[in-house]
Amino acid sequence: MNIIEVSGLSKTYVKRKTKEPVKAVNDISFSVRKGEILGLLGPNGAGKTTTIKMLCGLLKPDQGSILINGVNNAKQRLQALHHISAVLEGNRNLYWRLTVRENLEYFAGNRGFSRKQVAHRIDTLLVLFNLKEKENELVNRLSRGMQQKLAIAVAMLAETEVILLDEPTLGLDVETSYEVRAILKEIVKDEDRTIIITSHDMAVIQEVCQRTIIINHGKVVADEEISNLMRLFDVRAYTVTLGAELTPAQQALLESEFITYDYQADLIQPLLSIELTHAEQLYQLFDILKRNETPVEQIDRRTINFEEVFIKIVKGEAVDETSLSISSELA
Amino acid sequence: MKLVYQFQANLRKQAIQMKRYAPNTIAMVLTVYIIFISIFAGIQLIGNPETQAVTIQYTIINYIFWYLAMMLVNGIGYQIMSETSEGTFEQLGMTPSGIWRILSMRLLGEWVLHSIMVVLLLFLSMLTTGQWLNIDIIAILPIFLITSLSMYGLSFVIAGLTIVFKQIQALLQIFQFVLAGLAFVSLSSIYYQLFLPITKGIAMIRAIMIDGYQITDFSTMDFTLLIGNALIYIIIGLSMYLCCESYAMKKGLLAHY
Ligand SMILES: Nc1ncnc2c1ncn2[C@@H]1O[C@H](COP(=O)(O)OP(=O)(O)OP(=O)(O)O)[C@@H](O)[C@H]1O
Ligand SMILES: [Mg+2]
Repeated sequence: MNIIEVSGLSKTYVKRKTKEPVKAVNDISFSVRKGEILGLLGPNGAGKTTTIKMLCGLLKPDQGSILINGVNNAKQRLQALHHISAVLEGNRNLYWRLTVRENLEYFAGNRGFSRKQVAHRIDTLLVLFNLKEKENELVNRLSRGMQQKLAIAVAMLAETEVILLDEPTLGLDVETSYEVRAILKEIVKDEDRTIIITSHDMAVIQEVCQRTIIINHGKVVADEEISNLMRLFDVRAYTVTLGAELTPAQQALLESEFITYDYQADLIQPLLSIELTHAEQLYQLFDILKRNETPVEQIDRRTINFEEVFIKIVKGEAVDETSLSISSELA
Repeated sequence: MKLVYQFQANLRKQAIQMKRYAPNTIAMVLTVYIIFISIFAGIQLIGNPETQAVTIQYTIINYIFWYLAMMLVNGIGYQIMSETSEGTFEQLGMTPSGIWRILSMRLLGEWVLHSIMVVLLLFLSMLTTGQWLNIDIIAILPIFLITSLSMYGLSFVIAGLTIVFKQIQALLQIFQFVLAGLAFVSLSSIYYQLFLPITKGIAMIRAIMIDGYQITDFSTMDFTLLIGNALIYIIIGLSMYLCCESYAMKKGLLAHY
């Protein structure tokens, strides 16, 4: 069952000073299954935060509809909010003059819970987030990472089916980012909870999520299981170690046939890195090498990382035969 | 029950903040106290001894209304200004009961805290000056409560404007004097009394204190105006607020961008 159903979502902002329209989200559709952990990935300004804010009802879409657990959040905004909570970008969505515990209690109170009712849950969360010793510390004395963890704890306290996390590791140092990721992995084990995480940090998404939706310029450019995405790109990257240098004619041919190719002649052995857009292109490669009988010493399938995959997709270099829906205008 | 817990949470937050900003709170308490004492002393010095007690009562009641109106109406404006720029306002925006409910709880909390404070300080001033005012609480209380409802509505007008226009310090400063005018100047025209906030309530309290009215001496018309004014402000305030909120959600104004 789909707990979130988004169709034809669009949002255009008007810049306050110049009155210039900015198309932040442009006809996005996707759905999320109950219990799924979805990564919303995209470069700066792609429209991630805008999408998240529309999902949690803080921003009204110009077009399109959002169903949260079957509730249309345009028509029954408050009803939909029973099912969703969110941590928005940045660390300022807490009361800096209240302590850690007071923040948790205050937000729980606003959702209609007494301090007594949530006391136990707060303790559990404080332990999970490793904030127990800091519970009586003012939030403005906490580090960026602790504030971020507290913000996530606040969202979890509501015990909604859906949690949206906008850039949960933004601005954290390596160690804290690692800790937050570890906590997220812990949280996502709960099978009843649906989580959407946005980030422009691939590592976070790859580590925590099963599926990713990549958006760029307000459009969905990929919607795939991460493992599939990796496999698709993985098979096509090769490094070929050559026994002799390529001729300029061969280089020109390679350049015209392959979108991504890199040739390094100044090594002990010339090295050709190549990526194929179709499996058949491998024959083309060999044809070109065969012209001058260039000896092939070794062929390695290059392991491509998620970051490279992401950059490719965003640049629009992905391919036809795949299930990726890449709009050509993005190239 | 949910409502009670929401109220508790907001009242507690206010109390904690008052405690944590102790210097501010103490300064505020002292100011109100000094003003009370000055009213007692000042009127004693320059006033006509025969009407003295009445004038003191009247001025003090006017001042209390002004003070409360400032705390509620301007207070909510300043609160929203800082919360939209800090980002906590969006967090409130995700409360399933709606932002207006949280704001209502806060107004009620402020009202309770400041009313208690004012009453205690008034008592303390009477103790220090040795002058005991004879305030007819039974008659004044219901009028005070209903008048507070129009302040509640008015607060939402300001809340809505703040969400849409953000930095409205200048407006709030002017508004401070408008509130003072409403609290201190007595207007007897029915239209003013019906459509301007606070005015009718103050006129009635004046009648109680100066002309010795009992609550039963007021006509149905008086109460119609009083309650009508409160209803008008609640309706205008809430609907205006909700319109502004909806506009802000279209334009993405709930947080600073
Ligand atoms: N309130 C606003 N008013 C005007 N333009 C806005 C507003 N909010 C966002 N934008 C613009 O809309 C586009 C999408 O912004 P959004 O914040 O959704 O991107 P994002 O994917 O979250 O980026 P980032 O990684 O930087 O957080 C950007 O070009 C941004 O400048
Ligand atoms: Mg963002």
